[in-house]
Amino acid sequence: MSHGVKRARESADVVAARREKERSKLNAYLELTDDVLARKRASAFTQESFDLTTKLLGLNPELYSIWNYRRLILLNGLFPNLSPEGIFTLLQSELNFTTGALKVHPKVYWIWNHRRWCLANVPPGPDGAPVEKSWKRQMWTRELFIDERMLEADARNFHAWNYRRNILASDPGLRTLQDELTYTKKKIEASFSNFSAWHQRSKVYTALWEEGSSAEDVRKVKDTEFEFVQQALYTDPGDQSAWLYHRWLIGNGEDLPVLKREIAAIEELLSVEPDSKWCLETLVHYKRLLTSRSHMDETELAALKKETNVMLEKLQGIDPKRRIRYQELGM
Amino acid sequence: MDALLIDKHVKYIQSLGENTDDLMYHLTAHLRLNAIYWGLTALFIMGHPEALVKEDVIAFVMSCWDDDEGAFGAHPGHDAHVLPTLSSIQILVMYDEVERADKERLVSYLAARQNPSGSFSGDRWGETDTRFSYITLQALELLGRLDAIDKEKAVAHIRRCKNYDGGFGATEGAESHSGQVFVCTAALTILDRLDEIDQPNLAWWLAERQLPNGGLNGRPEKLEDVCYSFWVLSALSILHKLKWIDSDALIRFILSAQDPDGGGIADRPGDMVDVFHTVFGLCGLSLLGHPDVREINPIYCLPAEIAKKRGLHMNYQVLGKDEA
Repeated sequence: MSHGVKRARESADVVAARREKERSKLNAYLELTDDVLARKRASAFTQESFDLTTKLLGLNPELYSIWNYRRLILLNGLFPNLSPEGIFTLLQSELNFTTGALKVHPKVYWIWNHRRWCLANVPPGPDGAPVEKSWKRQMWTRELFIDERMLEADARNFHAWNYRRNILASDPGLRTLQDELTYTKKKIEASFSNFSAWHQRSKVYTALWEEGSSAEDVRKVKDTEFEFVQQALYTDPGDQSAWLYHRWLIGNGEDLPVLKREIAAIEELLSVEPDSKWCLETLVHYKRLLTSRSHMDETELAALKKETNVMLEKLQGIDPKRRIRYQELGM
Repeated sequence: MDALLIDKHVKYIQSLGENTDDLMYHLTAHLRLNAIYWGLTALFIMGHPEALVKEDVIAFVMSCWDDDEGAFGAHPGHDAHVLPTLSSIQILVMYDEVERADKERLVSYLAARQNPSGSFSGDRWGETDTRFSYITLQALELLGRLDAIDKEKAVAHIRRCKNYDGGFGATEGAESHSGQVFVCTAALTILDRLDEIDQPNLAWWLAERQLPNGGLNGRPEKLEDVCYSFWVLSALSILHKLKWIDSDALIRFILSAQDPDGGGIADRPGDMVDVFHTVFGLCGLSLLGHPDVREINPIYCLPAEIAKKRGLHMNYQVLGKDEA
């Protein structure tokens, strides 16, 4: 699969010249692949075979079977001759090797998997050390650091976000949920359109509230979140990320006064940005929530339907790509 | 609007097996079985299934069998994994030759991928992903053995991967992504559990994937890419909401990403083509009712006539078909 590589028309001569130039590289690659696969078939769990997998994976980190073989060598050939400390040191060098690979190939699943496996195999120790000094904590702390460098290089890399959640779940003592809120806020402030960070923030709050928060606490937190998300909405009312987060905060509109307050706030934004698709779309959604949440008589219901239908009609003009949806919603 | 260059795409797919002195060909060995499945599906829906030599393809598929584990690897000598295993089964099904595979061993390999939580791993090393739930479920349905796994638990795991925006992520807690939305929606269809989906919300999220140039993206505030034409459209088709996007604009976008000289379709206009974007661009055109492409069944990404013959699930929408 190639992504974002510009098409270049190569003439037959150019192709032939390129292949000629590549020939020795290609032959070496094929020879190495055959050698490693033959060793794998023969279950050769030696240091020499291990070093050959390093070389081959350096050329092509997509070879999942070679990563599998490498782990078999570690488990059957190398670990049995090492002390726990030796295993810890070897796993550290294993992580360094995959860090190099990730810098070049940040979206290759197999590299991330290999890291997970390394971390799951860190032996307990050193003997008598408290949790904060354990090998496991040292490794996970470094992982978090590397993961943050990966998210600096690409703030939307879902591999890095999934890995991050894995780190935090694997060593809950590493970061508190509050720390993670600070981190997501930093990422969001760097770019309001970073939906991955908004998403993570919603998950952290959900976890925090599941630990046990009073309704009053949740409400207070949500109020500050509404203020935070407002900044993003005003900065760029066309950015879906913040609108999605706003919708998460509203939920099913259980909190009627908040729902009404937010409707008023969006109406205010709409008065500044009368053609804002997201203002209109959100207002239609929230006003419909209002009908299911409050007891309206028929006159009020008819008035509200008329009002949302006017907005839906306007949306058909502003956002013609989704015209049929707005039509259907108005029926 | 650009024309669909069927002849060029057929030739492009035929040429893929001829690049064996190209380094790139060998660096993509780990995708070979997937690539053959993508190419063959594209050929079927372009009406040229004969463009590859059936016996050669089947011989290659069988050479990828991993006899230690009882499933298929991506290439001869590579380890079994559910990804190439599904591709192999799909290829054999397309050729009506599924009896050639060791069904019993395949079923036990696939069933063993389910974890106690209901999630599925890709292989014995344990990476879990909702993609693997879908892959295993489809493979088992094609083998007629969906009873080999715990369906309730499979549903429960997918439910845990659902987000408030209606979409699904790769694992519990992961962000919604069109690719994962496709696999979860199709998996729930296979399990007859579409009631698990928050349909208006998800269809809205999917419709918002369309960008001003007509192309679709995979997540909010990301760039368009032809492959999402299938991930997003398949889910919209299963939800019967294909009309919630501008199909003409998307057709134009897909057609503009063709390579008018060498054939094939790229991720975006002007980029290098590959067989992955070629098949998913064609599948998108199929669901949007392009007259030159035959029908794809989006639940399995298999030609509709083949899915129909095997009595598979068929509840989905194709534009221009059976509509007043």
